[in-house]
Amino acid sequence: MVRNAWQRWLDRRLPRARQVRLDQRGIFILPSGYGYLYLLVAVLLFFGGINYENNLILGLCFLMIGLFVVAILHTYRNLSGLTLRAGGARSGFVGGQGSLEVVLIARRRGHRALWLRWLEQTAQEVSVERNEETGLWLNLPLTRRGARRPPRLRVESRYPLGLLRAWSLVALDQVCLAWPRPQQGAECPARGGDRERRPAPAAQNGSEEFRGLRGYVPGDALTQVDWKGYARGRGLNVKLFDEPASGRLWLRYDLLEGVPVEQRLSILCDWVLQLSRENRPFALWLPGAELPPGQGDEQRRRALDLLARHGEAD
Amino acid sequence: MARIYQVPSHARGWLTLAIIATSLPQLSDGPWWQSGLLLLVLGWRALVDRQRLALPGRLVRLVLLLATVAATWQSYGRLHGPEAGSALITALFALKYLELVSKRDAYVLIVLGYFVCATILLFHQGPLAALYVIGCLALLTASLAGINYSDTHARRRQHLGVAAVMLLQALPLAAILFVLVPRVAPLWNMQLDSGQARTGMSDSMSPGQVSRLTESAELAFRVQFEGQAPPPRQRYWRGLTYSYFDGTTWRQARPPGWSDRDTVYGGRGPQPDWYRDLRAADSGPAWRYRVIMAPSQQRWLYALAVPFTDLDGLALARDLRLVADAPVTGPLSYRVRSVPAAGAGATLDGAERELMLSLPEQGNARARRLAGEWRRRYRQDDALVRAALDYFRQQPFFYTLEPPPVTGDTVDRFLFDTRRGFCEHYASSFTFLMRAAGIPARVVAGYQGGEANGDYLQVRQYDAHAWSEVWLDGRWQRVDPTAAVAPERIELGLRQTLRNLGADQDGEGGGAFNRVPLLFQLQQWADYVDFNWQKWVLGYRQDQQRAFLERLLGAVTATRIALALLVAVLVTTALLALLVLSRRRDDPTRPLEREFRRLRQALRRRGLELPEASSAAVQSAVSGRWPGAATAAGHWRRYFEYLAYRLDQEPSGGQLRQLARRRRALLRALGR
Amino acid sequence: MQALDNALARVGSVVLGKPEQLKLALACLLAGGHLLIEDLPGMGKTTLAHALARVFRLDYRRVQFTSDMLPADILGVSLFDPESGEFSLREGPVFSQLLLADEINRATPKTQGALLEAMEERQVTLDGLTRPLPSPFFVVATQNPVTQAGTFVLPESQLDRFLMRISLGYPAPEVELELLAGGDLREAVRELRPVIEPAGLVKLIAHVGKVRASRDLIDYVQRLLEATRADDRFAAGLSPRAGLGLLRAARAWALIHNRDYVLPEDVQAVWPSVAEHRLQPREGGQVAAITQSLLQTVPVVRG
Repeated sequence: MVRNAWQRWLDRRLPRARQVRLDQRGIFILPSGYGYLYLLVAVLLFFGGINYENNLILGLCFLMIGLFVVAILHTYRNLSGLTLRAGGARSGFVGGQGSLEVVLIARRRGHRALWLRWLEQTAQEVSVERNEETGLWLNLPLTRRGARRPPRLRVESRYPLGLLRAWSLVALDQVCLAWPRPQQGAECPARGGDRERRPAPAAQNGSEEFRGLRGYVPGDALTQVDWKGYARGRGLNVKLFDEPASGRLWLRYDLLEGVPVEQRLSILCDWVLQLSRENRPFALWLPGAELPPGQGDEQRRRALDLLARHGEAD
Repeated sequence: MARIYQVPSHARGWLTLAIIATSLPQLSDGPWWQSGLLLLVLGWRALVDRQRLALPGRLVRLVLLLATVAATWQSYGRLHGPEAGSALITALFALKYLELVSKRDAYVLIVLGYFVCATILLFHQGPLAALYVIGCLALLTASLAGINYSDTHARRRQHLGVAAVMLLQALPLAAILFVLVPRVAPLWNMQLDSGQARTGMSDSMSPGQVSRLTESAELAFRVQFEGQAPPPRQRYWRGLTYSYFDGTTWRQARPPGWSDRDTVYGGRGPQPDWYRDLRAADSGPAWRYRVIMAPSQQRWLYALAVPFTDLDGLALARDLRLVADAPVTGPLSYRVRSVPAAGAGATLDGAERELMLSLPEQGNARARRLAGEWRRRYRQDDALVRAALDYFRQQPFFYTLEPPPVTGDTVDRFLFDTRRGFCEHYASSFTFLMRAAGIPARVVAGYQGGEANGDYLQVRQYDAHAWSEVWLDGRWQRVDPTAAVAPERIELGLRQTLRNLGADQDGEGGGAFNRVPLLFQLQQWADYVDFNWQKWVLGYRQDQQRAFLERLLGAVTATRIALALLVAVLVTTALLALLVLSRRRDDPTRPLEREFRRLRQALRRRGLELPEASSAAVQSAVSGRWPGAATAAGHWRRYFEYLAYRLDQEPSGGQLRQLARRRRALLRALGR
Repeated sequence: MQALDNALARVGSVVLGKPEQLKLALACLLAGGHLLIEDLPGMGKTTLAHALARVFRLDYRRVQFTSDMLPADILGVSLFDPESGEFSLREGPVFSQLLLADEINRATPKTQGALLEAMEERQVTLDGLTRPLPSPFFVVATQNPVTQAGTFVLPESQLDRFLMRISLGYPAPEVELELLAGGDLREAVRELRPVIEPAGLVKLIAHVGKVRASRDLIDYVQRLLEATRADDRFAAGLSPRAGLGLLRAARAWALIHNRDYVLPEDVQAVWPSVAEHRLQPREGGQVAAITQSLLQTVPVVRG
């Protein structure tokens, strides 16, 4: 109840945004443990000064208190004006960690010894000097598949004297994708390729239908070179083939009938990884989404993202 | 080395410096082994930082701790009390440095540092000591700033910069608290150990005693008069009266059977008769002044004539002198109103009169004979006193700091044989003669004169003096036989007198005075600072605070003080916040931008909001609304754009003024 | 710059009724950037590119992109010559001074990528041999609006390689009348006489870099960039590269207007064509409208 009220209050006061500039609305400040000890010392010195009727010890005590008050201003100042912007995102598998980039921008003044952490995570320290930008990647444990919004980001600083801690709870509008946790499946849930539903040893340009020739470019597979033509003095050319639709390997969600949703996705995920490792082209079909055939890291990422986003409302 | 330092290297230098600086005063005051300990710790630590040595284990640390405690016990005989406590805390401070690893250790070290700073102030209270402690605080603060900025890019110097800026900003707040936070009486009594014996008056007087004081230029006390100070010959600062003479030494005494209750009134309980009588005679002109005593380790205080005070922490004695409730161990200041006429309220009867006439049974026969002779010749007491003074004036008496030693019948030998003496010789023999002639008399010891420095007087030990008081016409009257012999001593002070006597004195014993003029000037100046320091900082106690706040706030009530404190602190903090958080300092708008802002605000006042903040928008919006001003707007815009976008450097003052002229021309054009 | 005015006038004689777009295209050229024209077929995209090539006497090639095109078709191939027993390079159309990449979004991403990489690097690596592209080197790419079938949308990262994106749009009725009544414009283009030689163009491009951008102006550009980054209506803000491009385009615009210093109006004039294609709306917003609105909200002069 109280927690909810607190959350609502925070959401009103510090709404989620792509970029947040810290100001008096969002900065909280309280003495640190050491700050309380320091004040206790000042109080002890006050009694000492009174009892020894020593005005200089009283003066020392007052100077310490003055320093404390000034430290409030300086600690506040160290956070004030700091701009945080949602940066890039690195996705990860469920059970592992993703990470999100937070860009810190110091416009008017430097901001030193800042500790950043998602609530309930460990913190990282960073400093930004005036007119500089720094990106900081913060890990985020992923527990559920899908797009994960990070909790509020706690930005804390005790600079310069450690007597006070000033902090803010910033909600950055960024998203980290959690891919399904890969799970070994017995059979490849694929259609296409060869009959045994094993991924075909796909040639680079598909297999069957001959389309024509073109000039050799370094990097073309030597198996594709039209050696016969070369022998006939037609120059070094490469044979082009059209990939037959039947030759494409389609990983299909619906082939895993009877398996719970998350598990299906996990199995598909495992196959995506396996095929990518073997550098084979594949395509992916999910209810409501499909990925055309392709290969390589980009294809792998797209497939994983698609799996991660499966079932999302939008 | 498994442990990792959490204290960044750029902070460690400040921490080391802070430790050395804060420990230094204690090292110079305290026992030798403390310096040894600190050197050991610093050396060890330096080797550890160079990876030559491991940090000491728990056992070594325990042994060191026990050794320190034992050494403190050995040096002071106890572990509590200010001296032993300071020594102990300074030693712990050094030991803590030896085991510094984590940030938390550093925090503990710095907290100890604050206490060590406080112990410095326990024993040193000059302005320089205060500055020194502020320096130590700056070092401690720099260490704090260092350990809280664990970036390796941090530069060492910036920590001290941060600390200095913050301390400067904290000073006004500290000053406000110092002035306004009410001083309360000590919650429990703490006494510093009475320090080494100090030069000054003592409770007895024998030949040679006062003259020894004159070798010291040490300050006895300072006086600040409200209004004109009395001339030198009136400045007899009474401190003690001696009424008992044993043939060689004069001592303080009171009639047998009398107690403090009969002779001292401290403001508590019913007023004794003698005090009421004095108050009754309180009339006529008075001197008002404040005395700031240097620590004397004695209870007696100094004042002129009949001193009345508020009797807060001090008391008035029946022999018209002030007595502190406790020995003066630190700077003490008190306000006095001296009323010469109130002396008429004094009484002298019975046992007390007997005491003031008492002499040893025998001895000094020649002096007694002389007194008897005077008594037969002069019936009137005052005539007898005049005759005695004439005697001193006419016989070949010499005023000297180096009287020949006398033994046996000291009065006789001085009066008739050596005839060379210092004030105590004259006061002693004069009083003896008076008593022998049947006139009640006593010796008064104190100081005479004082040098003006700024708006106050300095009274130094070499101003020590002794004189007599005789009971004439129902009151105690001051008679100074020294003045009869050496009037310049009273008029000019001892320093000048000795300078005049320089020929036959050879400057001996005057080492304290024969100073280079410039150094003397410097010393006077330093003393002036010291005086105001004593008066306004160290002496800013309950009564002075009350007086000051009354002037400041009208009436002094708890609510008023609290309110004043609150307002002053809030206002100062707000001003500091403006200073610390001001945008202008971090992001100064440039002159050209300010110029644009001015025009924009002026247009806003005339009801024109610009669709966007640009010079083009100014021209089009103004021309649209006031076609008559279109030309002026065009002029302004062209010049603005010339300065902002075409010019290679920041516009000069003349160019900015030219732009301002065009702005004003534009605004004038709007009016038409 | 009389010569630039002449050039504009000549191009304007064949691309009718689009003076602003012509100026933008010219500014893009002078800024040394590549131009993307997004329009339906038949709006005069090709005419514009060809006319620009003519007035600067640039070596001009036109490539119609198709889905079966391979990178080698653009970059060129290294052919084995059995007689000499050596490989020789056959340069692709990219080795020209002005390449019109017509309907670039019909090609596969791989082919698009090859071209865009060459645009960025201004060189082509074939057979381990790096060959610089001619100087000056411009690509004018045209693109059908993405709603058309059979197209591969250019990814965001590659759109950033184009300094500007403009669109010509339908001509105004009176211009269209003139167009219909007039002779063959293609013929007219071929008749265009050069105004500035390629070497002169290179000098002009160098001159653009010297157009003064004062601190106040750079501050303004920075505020604009910052505003796109802070604006929640965009998926992501403008990159620093976009900022440099914006400044360069504004300098070229100032030069076209015969000034050796940049005014905020110059920035504002090129702003939509530089910024819009690099920004993605977040939730179906209108990029053009939001981009335009920033010009109103971002103060030109802080004060």
